[in-house]
Amino acid sequence: MRRSRSLVALVALSAVLAACSAKSTTGTTTDKDASGTDGPHKQGGTVTIANTAGQTWPCQFNPFNPAVNGQAIGFIYETLVHVSVVGNSKETPMLATGYKWSADGKTIVFTIRDGVKWSDGQAFSADDVVFTFNMMKAHPATDLYALWTGAGLQSVTAAGSEVTMTFNQTAKTYFYNLAGLVPIVPKHIFSTGEAAANPETWANTKPIGTGPYTMGTCGPNNIEYLANPTFWQPGKPYIQKVEYPAYLDNAPANNDLASGKAQWGGQFIPNIKAFYLAKSADNHTWSPPVLNVGLFPNLDPSHPITSKLEVRQAIAAALDRTQIALIGEGGQQPAANQTGVVVPTFDKYFDQAALTASGYDKPDVEKAKTLLASAGYSPAKPLKLTVITITGYTDWDASLAVIKQQLQPIGIDLTVDDLAQQTFVGKLFTGNFDLAYYAEPNSGPSPYYELRQLLHSKLTAPIGKNAISNYERYNNPEADKLLDDYATADEAGQVEIVKKLSAIMLRDVPVIPTTESVDWFQYNTSDILGWPTPENPYAEPSPYKVPDNEQVLLHLYSKAAQK
Amino acid sequence: MRYVLRRLGFFVLTLWAALTLNFFIPRFMPGSPLQALQIRTKNRLSPVALEQMLTSFGFKPNESVGVQYLDYLGHMFSGNWGVSIGATLGEPITKIVAQALPWTLGLVGTATVLSFLLGSMVGVVAGWRRGGALDSILPSVFVVTSALPYFWVGLLLILVFSVWTGGLLPSNFNYDSSLQPEFTAEFIGNVLQHAILPGLTIVITAVGGWVLTMRNNMITTLAEDYIRMGRAKGLSNRKIMYQYAARNAFLPNLSGFAMSLGFVISGAILVEYVFNYPGLGYLLYNAVQNTDYPLMQVLFMLFTVAVLVSVLLCDFATAWLDPRARAKG
Amino acid sequence: MLRSVLRNRKALTGLILFLIFVVLAAVPQLFTSVTDPNKLAFAPALPPSGEHLLGTTALGQDIWAQLVYGTRQSLVIAVVAGFFATVLSVLVGVSAAYLGGLADEILSMITNVFLIIPTFPLIIILATYAGKGTLLVVLIVLVVTGWSYGANQLRAQALSLRNRDFLESARVRGERSSYIILAEMLPTMTSLIVANFLGAALYSVLTAAGLQFLGLGDPSSISWGTMLYWSQNQQALQSGMPLWSLAPGLCVALLGVSFALLNYAFDEISNPALRPVRRRRAAA
Repeated sequence: MRRSRSLVALVALSAVLAACSAKSTTGTTTDKDASGTDGPHKQGGTVTIANTAGQTWPCQFNPFNPAVNGQAIGFIYETLVHVSVVGNSKETPMLATGYKWSADGKTIVFTIRDGVKWSDGQAFSADDVVFTFNMMKAHPATDLYALWTGAGLQSVTAAGSEVTMTFNQTAKTYFYNLAGLVPIVPKHIFSTGEAAANPETWANTKPIGTGPYTMGTCGPNNIEYLANPTFWQPGKPYIQKVEYPAYLDNAPANNDLASGKAQWGGQFIPNIKAFYLAKSADNHTWSPPVLNVGLFPNLDPSHPITSKLEVRQAIAAALDRTQIALIGEGGQQPAANQTGVVVPTFDKYFDQAALTASGYDKPDVEKAKTLLASAGYSPAKPLKLTVITITGYTDWDASLAVIKQQLQPIGIDLTVDDLAQQTFVGKLFTGNFDLAYYAEPNSGPSPYYELRQLLHSKLTAPIGKNAISNYERYNNPEADKLLDDYATADEAGQVEIVKKLSAIMLRDVPVIPTTESVDWFQYNTSDILGWPTPENPYAEPSPYKVPDNEQVLLHLYSKAAQK
Repeated sequence: MRYVLRRLGFFVLTLWAALTLNFFIPRFMPGSPLQALQIRTKNRLSPVALEQMLTSFGFKPNESVGVQYLDYLGHMFSGNWGVSIGATLGEPITKIVAQALPWTLGLVGTATVLSFLLGSMVGVVAGWRRGGALDSILPSVFVVTSALPYFWVGLLLILVFSVWTGGLLPSNFNYDSSLQPEFTAEFIGNVLQHAILPGLTIVITAVGGWVLTMRNNMITTLAEDYIRMGRAKGLSNRKIMYQYAARNAFLPNLSGFAMSLGFVISGAILVEYVFNYPGLGYLLYNAVQNTDYPLMQVLFMLFTVAVLVSVLLCDFATAWLDPRARAKG
Repeated sequence: MLRSVLRNRKALTGLILFLIFVVLAAVPQLFTSVTDPNKLAFAPALPPSGEHLLGTTALGQDIWAQLVYGTRQSLVIAVVAGFFATVLSVLVGVSAAYLGGLADEILSMITNVFLIIPTFPLIIILATYAGKGTLLVVLIVLVVTGWSYGANQLRAQALSLRNRDFLESARVRGERSSYIILAEMLPTMTSLIVANFLGAALYSVLTAAGLQFLGLGDPSSISWGTMLYWSQNQQALQSGMPLWSLAPGLCVALLGVSFALLNYAFDEISNPALRPVRRRRAAA
């Protein structure tokens, strides 16, 4: 899903708005109705997706090519186990029926499902799983989740219908990646010819997978998926056809959603109430928040101002996050909080008491002025700061305009520097900024995943070198230890660790979250039911989220076909 | 002959200069393909893996600039254009360009030719009928239309013919996404329907220029002696207008027309952006946004070559049609 | 010359339009009570009313105020870029014609290369290369791409003048080349130079607006092009806020038209044959 001109899928539609009620903004049909009834249902019907990719379809379906895998995974290729980020880490076995960790968490054994067929008729087996993972080792460019290089994967072997994976360290936190994100590909296709020689660039125009759909027809303007008659879940999928048109820009996709021509949207719709929701009682939206968007101050000593704690505390205290969310994001993203825990998605880990005690739960202009004064600045002697952002992210520009106005009364003169994406990226990665407005790209089933990207010193780099994440250059052994311990903790222990990390966020203010970025999601219930809702958040609902799209597709059914 | 050689020499020299400029521009741009790939893979890959990915896409950043330059020149001419590293990661550039080229040629090329023909016709008549009501109003009207910004006319047309009519004329894309490309009447009709508004935008903004230049040329030509001779001979007005005046007034326009034909490929960016028409202009815009250096370079080269070739062809045509040009050498 | 300008109807219209914009740019505070048009001070998406002549944007800014204050940047771009492009054209074109020989060949070659290179793609690439679209970047890009057309025209005219008698006599008198160029040739080429300036100004207005519309300008600046960028991003046309898109576009169009009218009028003034013939009742 494209935000203006970029592929970084951060644009999302949120429903939680502090100014309005806490429920999602929907039409008159309640969310419960949208989930529909449980199965089984009769097969039939078509669903059309509206998601702006920004280009015409190249008709390639290589699941290891990050530019096209959004059209391949979920529809055609599946993973071992589905882990739901928004559904409290609920796990659904897919190609693996079960798994068992060793006591030290360094070995995991998957039991592979029997009776699954590839869409060309050949039988699926544990060999395919082993082949997929070993191919990722042989061709590092396909190891898109850094399992061999970062997670410490050492070997993947099969014995009958069991696959054993061993790591050189505790690997429980990588479960989401290896079981929930890695697509399993057929050995008999990928071990020959062009695919074997260059799996990262192979076009794969006639994909063979185990998933619920096959590629029916593909042209530059549209992909049509057809239900896979030999899919391993009998009677599913209910929806027989999926249409995925190519949209070059947001406006036409939004128009198709508003008119009902498309039913499943992953769009940022400005003025959504007037433009979409008001057009029909069947138009709904629910956009769950999954990540934080915020200000990244440069903590390196070479930047004396932003590395001063009082300055960061002053900014965190002065911001009215609700206003930023309301005006900057049109009320479509919820306000974030200083603990860095995304709510309500991760309510389990959220420490409301600590947030209230810190005072960052609401804007406090007086406190901000005092803090800034202790650093030597005031409205009479203002502090000049520059924040860099990406040109084209108009909602971030709007948010920064609000932030600028909120920081002015306390004595900070903020200049917004819009940079072309490659310039911004260059500066962000190498630490060449005072403040940067950004959001981490990867979420996971708990706040750990984002907090690790934000805080772990292993991921950063000295000023001038490319950092993988942790662009603010935060270096705290205490945080590192907490993050490292997370892998071996049990569930209660993990909640404790996240709360301790929240305390660090409140104390050290290494990053200042402002709004929560969401999975954009619009849906139309005039014919199609089975959608994920806040009451039934079985998967991330956006059509561009893979492989969660498979879960959605396996729930959807057509009302007309039931007659 | 000397004339031909001179023009060829100019062609080669200009081509070389443009290609060299084209080679260096992306290399001085901020950010690197490595960082662009890092973003595309969502920061998950290690730097080593990223470099291997780049290499598998044909990028060899560690060679000397001289070697890269010679490689680049060779590749441009042999058609070995490599793969895209932008949003269409891994797709061969020849395929991307081949897909977009017919749409730009079709839409912008046809619209430009139409504007030229229409504008020239009107210009001939306007130049001929001095003193009429047309003559005092027309130039002003066309001066205004030629100064209108492309995108504004496009937006206005979208508002009037698409939004207010509830979608009577489509304002987006080249054909409806529910259709597959094939040579049926339905498909072709749909393509034409989608081309109306963008084509109209181009014609409205471009026709004025042609009318004015043609009118000016006609007026200058009509003052010539041989026209008076024709009238004295008793030739019909129509014959004088077309066979004597228009033909000669036409020639200076030809070089301008050739230039604008060459610019067809590149001048379409704004129109394609407003109407989301997937042609070459839109491709360039996306390539620049996504740091897609290989695609950017190929497109820029194509644009330059197109203009050069059309200028060269038109120079030859002028030399063939007008003996005086040949004599100038 | 001023008198002929005033008598020509097109020139008069163009001049009046231009002057209106100059006034708007010079004293914007006379036309709107809003002092900071970028401040998100009002309720978003209001329709036109007495308080907000053209309504408000989706972020809560007064559209009319933005329009009035935006005039300044568009005028600055037109005049400054037009001026420097013309200076460059004159320098290269006239020097090439006057110096002749190898210098002429080289300068002509450079001019032709710049003429051939497709400008809009080059502009997009350069604007992105600069990293951010500040006003200075836009101006530089416009000058670099806009001078070549005029240079050719001026060179052609200078060539035809070079061998005229009055120049010959100046040479015989022993005047320096620079004096001949500056004091003798240029004054006779004034109308062409002015026409060039107007053409360059028109080109700059349209191209700058196009650049900003695509998002390659500075999104936090106050200008017509930036308004177009924001309104396009917020789908103003389809969301029932068409004025937000149409008004700045209309201003760009009107400013462009004023330059075009003046330019065409200059053509007519320098070439009397082109002037509209007053209707005479004649036997057809």
